Amino acid sequence: MKGFLNRQAPYVFIAPTLILLTLFSLVPIVVALVISLTDMDLGGLANFDSIGFIGFDNYVEVLTDPVFMKSILNTLFYVVIGVPLVILFSLAVALLINLGTSRIFKAFRVVYYLPSVTNIVAVAVVWSYLYNPSLGLFNYLLNAIGLPDVQWLTQPTTAKLSLILLALWKAVGLNMIIFIAALQGIPKSYYEAAQLDGASLWQQVTKITIPMLRFAIFFVSITTMIGWLQFFEEPFVMTNGGPLDGTLSVSLFIYQNGFKFNNFGYAAAGSFVLFVFIIAITLIQLRLQKNESDMT
Amino acid sequence: MKKTMTLITAGVLTVGMLAGCGAKNDTNGGNASEGGGDSNEKVTLTVWGMGEEAKTLPKFADEFTKENPNIKVNVQALPWDQGHDKLLTAVASKKGPDVVQMGSSWVAEFADAGVLADLSPYVTQYPELNPDNFYPGAVAAGKYNDKYVSSPWYVETRVLFYRTDMLKSVGFDKAPATWDELSDAAQKLTKAGGSGKYGMSIDPKEQSLGFMFARQNGANWFTADNQPNFNDPKFVEAVSYVNSFYQNGSAPKDLGLDIVPAFKEGILPMFISGPWMIKLIQDQAPEINGKWALAVLPKKENNMSVLGGSNLSIFEYSKNKDAAAKFVAYMSKAETQLKWMDSTSSLPAVTSAWDNDKLKNDPNYQVIGEQLKTAQPMPVLKSWAQIGDSYLKHFEVIYRSNADVKKEMDSFNADAAKLMK
Repeated sequence: MKGFLNRQAPYVFIAPTLILLTLFSLVPIVVALVISLTDMDLGGLANFDSIGFIGFDNYVEVLTDPVFMKSILNTLFYVVIGVPLVILFSLAVALLINLGTSRIFKAFRVVYYLPSVTNIVAVAVVWSYLYNPSLGLFNYLLNAIGLPDVQWLTQPTTAKLSLILLALWKAVGLNMIIFIAALQGIPKSYYEAAQLDGASLWQQVTKITIPMLRFAIFFVSITTMIGWLQFFEEPFVMTNGGPLDGTLSVSLFIYQNGFKFNNFGYAAAGSFVLFVFIIAITLIQLRLQKNESDMT
Repeated sequence: MKKTMTLITAGVLTVGMLAGCGAKNDTNGGNASEGGGDSNEKVTLTVWGMGEEAKTLPKFADEFTKENPNIKVNVQALPWDQGHDKLLTAVASKKGPDVVQMGSSWVAEFADAGVLADLSPYVTQYPELNPDNFYPGAVAAGKYNDKYVSSPWYVETRVLFYRTDMLKSVGFDKAPATWDELSDAAQKLTKAGGSGKYGMSIDPKEQSLGFMFARQNGANWFTADNQPNFNDPKFVEAVSYVNSFYQNGSAPKDLGLDIVPAFKEGILPMFISGPWMIKLIQDQAPEINGKWALAVLPKKENNMSVLGGSNLSIFEYSKNKDAAAKFVAYMSKAETQLKWMDSTSSLPAVTSAWDNDKLKNDPNYQVIGEQLKTAQPMPVLKSWAQIGDSYLKHFEVIYRSNADVKKEMDSFNADAAKLMK
């Protein structure tokens, strides 16, 4: 009996997680896969008989849809520019806060973290005023130093950058906390030894801190990358994909097709393309990381 | 950041599971549907109201219960932007409200899914529901494939709001009456106002405006065999006309100002909007009282406006359809509609209510009543939401980069044809 319990105990402990994962992640993914092969729309939702199986038509159509292509390019733009910036800024902020010994730095930890816990809708209201073409603070400041207005949200490329700026401001806090936790896990003795050998502060940072943070950086880059591939809230609340689809992300494309236009099959196909995309990129990253750790 | 997969899948899954449960209840409820309106039986109706006005609805529901003690009404107020999602869930679970307020743009998609009950069987019992009582445009907006799926509740239509004092200063003693005059007035106002001022506001995000101008130009939206006809020369001409306001600087592309303060400051001395603006201007800009007025839209071939508003529908899965019809009939009475107007300032869809003194003597309401006579709704098409969205995207290309209108409308027409298939 005791042996049985010992063998079963781990399963009992992981059962709640497994059940939740299956119910709310695995089953929905399978259901979405099935839906993506059908022409399900609102009528299909009301009456399952009217759903037709159409094979891979949705995939063919979504992959040739110029709007979808545009949304993929936009998403890549967000990722390529946004992710390095998030890592750079949160790492820099974490390092600076960690170096400081005065009390004020503890306060700044809160200051940088606050945007992460602020409701996105509230953030959107404030930021849309900052970006407002007539009343915006940003244009006012630019004008004050003699520069012309910037079309923050109304020129496709600028609008993408404006959203990245907003998302960056919001994302730095959380990643900073992860970095600070990792920084405090580095044994003090390493620095003491380096100081005895006469290493400068810069040398300590580049030779001890950054290498010791490798795992934290890897973790942050993977989670941030996945998060930014699913970039949704910022364009949803700020621009709704406009101007000229310039800020439309893949997630927003899926949302609009699924819940605005009721093309559930088409949207599910789009979400599967995104799903495969994210898995592929994450696997590549894992592989790169493995190669790197083999070398050291 | 939300997980996209869960976004799509979890939603569909949950509603799918609910659908399983809902189906059973429906079979049980089959008998009850006949007894629902029985005067001896107590029933509770669930009514979904949308937006601000839904907050006033409980007061009217109580009045209704006073007249019909056996019918209790339970009002749920939903914000407009959540209403659509809530309705989707109700459709999937086959369980939802008994009566639901429908925005006119939703009628087609939900009627197509077969979740809105046909109201024609109730017309004999409740003469208030007779389509002849309402504005014809409002009835047309509530019909899908000739099925009377929703009854008009209140209406609105777009008219021209203008600053009388400012138009006078550029030589217009009354509102512009034709397209040419409108364009002329807008340019003169822009010039007179100087930098940072405009002649009028044409909201580039409002999808109905382009179609409205096209119809005023005599364009038919569809060909005789029901194909989209959005690259018709008359349609193209109308879009070019609208575009000219952006190109000659008399309408702003991105102003980022709310209309009321801009109207008050004279930044936008003219705009096209609906009756709800009257109260907003009166409340938020009392300083310009007496310096603004309403006018019917300027005409080209005609001056037909867009008819909007809300309808009331009975949900197909309701077990109390008869009681629900009674409630809809109550809301459609001329006297209820007038009381409704007093508390929410939305306009009655029942034509006989317009004999009321308040509507007859108020100059603003007179203009709207006049405009309502010919106002027509947007087409009741399942794919209209997508077509309208597509129009906005093509129009954005036109007004932002001054693209070739004909070419852009050709491409829009091709998209629309694909969407309508």
